Amino acid sequence: MTMLDLHNIETGYGAGKVLFGVSLSVTAGACVSLMGRNGMGKTTTVRAIMGQLPLTSGRISRFGDDQDDRSSFEIARAGIGLVPEGRQIFSNLTVRENLQTFYRMPAGQTGAAWHLDRVLALFPRLSERLEHAGNHLSGGEQQMLAIGRALMTNPKLLILDEATQGLAPIIRQQIWDCLNQLKQDGQSILIIDKNVDAIAKLADHIYILDKGRVVWHGDSDALLATPDLKSRYLGV
Amino acid sequence: MSAIRDFIGLVGDGVKANQTLWLLVFGFALFPIFSYFADLPFWNDVAMRIMLLGMAAMGLNLVLGYGGMVSFGHAAFIGIGAYCVGISQFYGISNGWAHLGFSIVTCGLAGLVIGYLALRTSGIYFIMITLAFAQMLFFLFVSLEAYGGDDGMSVDRGEFGFIDLYDPLRLYFLIWCALALVSLALMFIVRSRFGVTLRAIKSNESRIEAMGLSPLRFKMVGYVISAVICGIAGTLFASWQEYVSPDIMHWTRSGELMIIIILGGLATLAGPLLGAIVFLLLEESLPMLLGAVAPAYAENWMIIFGPLLIMVVLFGRGGLTGIIDRLSGTRGNADHKAGPR
Repeated sequence: MTMLDLHNIETGYGAGKVLFGVSLSVTAGACVSLMGRNGMGKTTTVRAIMGQLPLTSGRISRFGDDQDDRSSFEIARAGIGLVPEGRQIFSNLTVRENLQTFYRMPAGQTGAAWHLDRVLALFPRLSERLEHAGNHLSGGEQQMLAIGRALMTNPKLLILDEATQGLAPIIRQQIWDCLNQLKQDGQSILIIDKNVDAIAKLADHIYILDKGRVVWHGDSDALLATPDLKSRYLGV
Repeated sequence: MSAIRDFIGLVGDGVKANQTLWLLVFGFALFPIFSYFADLPFWNDVAMRIMLLGMAAMGLNLVLGYGGMVSFGHAAFIGIGAYCVGISQFYGISNGWAHLGFSIVTCGLAGLVIGYLALRTSGIYFIMITLAFAQMLFFLFVSLEAYGGDDGMSVDRGEFGFIDLYDPLRLYFLIWCALALVSLALMFIVRSRFGVTLRAIKSNESRIEAMGLSPLRFKMVGYVISAVICGIAGTLFASWQEYVSPDIMHWTRSGELMIIIILGGLATLAGPLLGAIVFLLLEESLPMLLGAVAPAYAENWMIIFGPLLIMVVLFGRGGLTGIIDRLSGTRGNADHKAGPR
C-alpha cells in the first residue's frame, strides 16, 4: 500500500514558485529520505503534504485517496504525524501534557500501538522530566518530546523535518538509534536530513531536491556509490 | 492500561494542586456562621456578590486565561442570564429552575453565534468584535421599552421549589452550590485533554492543526462553556438583586471581570475567585478607609485602587495566586513556570 504519493506537485509562496514538479512516494513500512541544501524546497514539500500550502498543479495522494479539499487538520488526522523543524513543542504545557493530550487510538495498522508508557520506554530521559514545563527542557529533550508527541497520535506515516539539527553528537546518535528502532517496528517514515552517512544507513530510498526539482533518487547503496552527488547537491 | 488512561486523559493537576480554590470555596460555606456570630449580616450580601462575580470571572478565565482569547464582551452573557429571569417573569414564568434552563440554553446559543463569528479573528480584532457584540446587546435591551428599557425592570426572586430564596441564607447557599458546581466542573474541564488543548492553542495554534485537531472547534466549545457559566452567574445575580437593567451588561463590567482575573492570576482556577474577593473587598473598604483619613477624597478611592492594581500586575507575576504559590513554595501550573510571554 502506498502511504504517500506526490505527483508532479508545484507550489510556492505568493508569486514566488518554490517547487517545480516534485514527485515522490512512500510505501508502507519504508523509510524514505528527502535531502538537499537549505532553500531547495524540502520544508515547502512537507508543508504541501500537510495541506498547509495549496498546490498550483499536480496532486498528492495520502493513504491511497486524493481528496484535495480537506483542511490541514483533517489531513493530519488521517494519520500523518509531523515532527516539525524547530521542534515547536508547547512551551506552556508539561512534558506529560505535551504527550498525553494528543493521544489518538491507532487506526488498524500493524505493530504495537503507542501510548505514554511506550513513548517513555523509548525515551527514558523524558520520564524524569514528566512534570517539567516544555520550555525547561534541553534541545535534545525537546526533540525527543517532539518525536514522542507525534508517535502518541499513532501515525501511519511519520514525517521528520530536520530532527537532528543543532543537537550534540551523542544526542544525535540516540535519535538515530530510535529512528532505526521505529523502522524495524514497521513504521513508515519520511525523513528530511542533511547527514548523508546516517541517512544512508537508515533510508530505503533517497530523493535529492535541488531548486525545487528532484534531481536524483535511488537507494542508499546508489547514494554512496555516486561520488559527485554529495559535492554537487548536498555539500555546503 | 496505559492506552486506556491516555484515551480518558485526565492529564492536568487534580484537587491537590487546587487547594487554594477549595479552601476558598469551603471558606464561603462557613462564612455565614462567622457573620452570624460577628453580627455582620451585611457582609453576607457582599459575600454573595463576590461569589457571583467570581463565578462569572471563572467562566471568562476559561477562554481568557486558559485559551488566550481576550473576550471583552462577557458582560453580555451575564446580562442575557439576568434578563432570562426578567423576561420569563414578564410572561408569568416564575420557576427559578426554568429561568436557569432558559439562561443556559440562550447563553449557549448566543455564545455559539458570537463565537462562530468572532473566533475567526484574533488579537485586537477579536477584542473589538466581542466588545461590539456586547454593545449591540446592551443597546438592544436599552431600546426594548417592554422590558423596562433604560430603567430596567424589578423582578421577584425565582421560585426554586422548596428553596425559598426570600430566606437570605437559602439564597446564599443556592449561590454557593452553583459556585461549588462550577468550580468542580471547571476543575475537570481544565484537567481534561480538552482543557490542556485550549492551553496548547494559546501557545501555538498552527501546531494544533498539524496535530490533527481543529483549533476553531476547541475554541468554540470553550467559548460556549464560558458563556453558559457567565449566564448562570447572571441569572442568580438577577434573583439576588431583584432587579434587572442594561447596566448589568455595561462594557465596564466586562473590564471588571478582566481586572479580577488578572489580579487573581490568569489560567488558574483559584485566581478569579481570589481576584473577586480582593477586588470587591477593596471596593467596599477603600472608600471607608479613605473617608476616615481624608473625608473629602472618599469618593476618589480609585486613586489608591488603580496603583495597587498596577503594582500587582507589574511585580506579582501570575497575580495573587502566583504570589501565594511562591510564598508557600508550591508549584503553579506550567503556564506560570513558563513565565511571561
